[in-house]
Amino acid sequence: MKISFRITRAMLARVHADLSRPHAFAAERVAFLSCGAAALHDDGLLLLAEAHHPVADEHYIDDPRVGATIGSAAFRTVLQIAYNRPISVFHIHRYEHIGVPRFSPIDLRESTRFVPDFFKVRPERPHGVLVFSHDALSGLCWYPGRKTPVPITEVSVVGYVTPTRWGTA
Amino acid sequence: MNERWSRQSFLGAESEQVLGNAIIGIVGLCGGGSHIAQQSAHVGVGNFVCADYDHVDESNLPRMVGSRPEDAKELISKTAVIKRTIHLVNPTANVMLVEGQWYAQERFFRNCTAIFGCVDNFAARDELERFCRRYLIPYIDVGMDVHEVSNGFSISGQVITSLPGGPCMRCLGFITDAKLAEEQRRYGAAGGRPQVVWPNGVLASIAVGQMVGLLRPWNRDLKPSVMIEYDGNRQICRESTKLLYLADKPCSHFSGPDAVGDPFYSADNNNRGQTAISR
Repeated sequence: MKISFRITRAMLARVHADLSRPHAFAAERVAFLSCGAAALHDDGLLLLAEAHHPVADEHYIDDPRVGATIGSAAFRTVLQIAYNRPISVFHIHRYEHIGVPRFSPIDLRESTRFVPDFFKVRPERPHGVLVFSHDALSGLCWYPGRKTPVPITEVSVVGYVTPTRWGTA
Repeated sequence: MNERWSRQSFLGAESEQVLGNAIIGIVGLCGGGSHIAQQSAHVGVGNFVCADYDHVDESNLPRMVGSRPEDAKELISKTAVIKRTIHLVNPTANVMLVEGQWYAQERFFRNCTAIFGCVDNFAARDELERFCRRYLIPYIDVGMDVHEVSNGFSISGQVITSLPGGPCMRCLGFITDAKLAEEQRRYGAAGGRPQVVWPNGVLASIAVGQMVGLLRPWNRDLKPSVMIEYDGNRQICRESTKLLYLADKPCSHFSGPDAVGDPFYSADNNNRGQTAISR
């Protein structure tokens, strides 16, 4: 299944601005993106970034073993949004480099734990995780009825000035 | 870089790949759309989704690039003529044709890199812009008109580049509920409106430039104008003064919850697509 992800340049800038903010104890920030979804003519899936949802400072847990750990309140906040409206939920974070990022073993382990919770409120929608670098991103999408995630194969940033490195994982 | 593209090497080393992978939608294939299809093929766009419900007739020949007298005699569809025009320039281009109303096969347009609207009424423009906003697709609208004035005729036109998040045609006052209502009231009474090849060519060239500027900006400070107005009597184009009043104002017409994606999306119906199409 071909999965495409589309985001406006303005929203992308807001995501990076949020993820760049220092936190009192967490080494990095995480957030969520809500996305619209649409079928493509070739059985593909189009994910459309709709809104960016920062994680509140107090929803981080002090855990020096990893860059950032967030508590259940952070997940409850975004799940409430998904409960109220039909959206796909994507957890996001960023690696501080340029070039196409890859999910770490911890990313993969943790995402298999929390992504199923997104399906509890929106079982009919795809959900997943995105990892950004400063000029690229990679994504994994869990599709209803499939146990293993599917990589996002195409990324489009809509707006003036298209950088050259936005690509696929 | 391939010798073919050497004269447009300033678009960057990756331009051949970026333009070759781009999918351009063109709705309305006569006056403006035929120029856009031909120029996009020349510049290296590799994929097209082209929609028009009409066939070529005699009155199209003075302005539809690529049309021939025999096309009018044989009532050849405009989509077939455009496909031929594109393939004369780029034989390997993937040209998907929608012979009918574009929205009957709207799924084929969802994956477009940009969509050009070359339609002749506000309702169709409104529909196209709404679609493009929902699927986060740049929409480039091309239009011209000829008005009778006291000392003769006045030719005017515009190119509007409507980007998701940016000013829309309603922000610009180009589309209003009053205009749509008036158009609906006069539906069927307008008859054939004047159209000529050279303003279409000017406006289509600007529109193609807008598209290339989005995909392969050739200058760090390049920011294509949202609305360019054409004064066809003086043969000049300029940025619309409306933009002075819209600076940094977010669009309020296409924002808010559920503004993007298929509002009725469900994984259960993801693969129930449309199939009637010719390539």
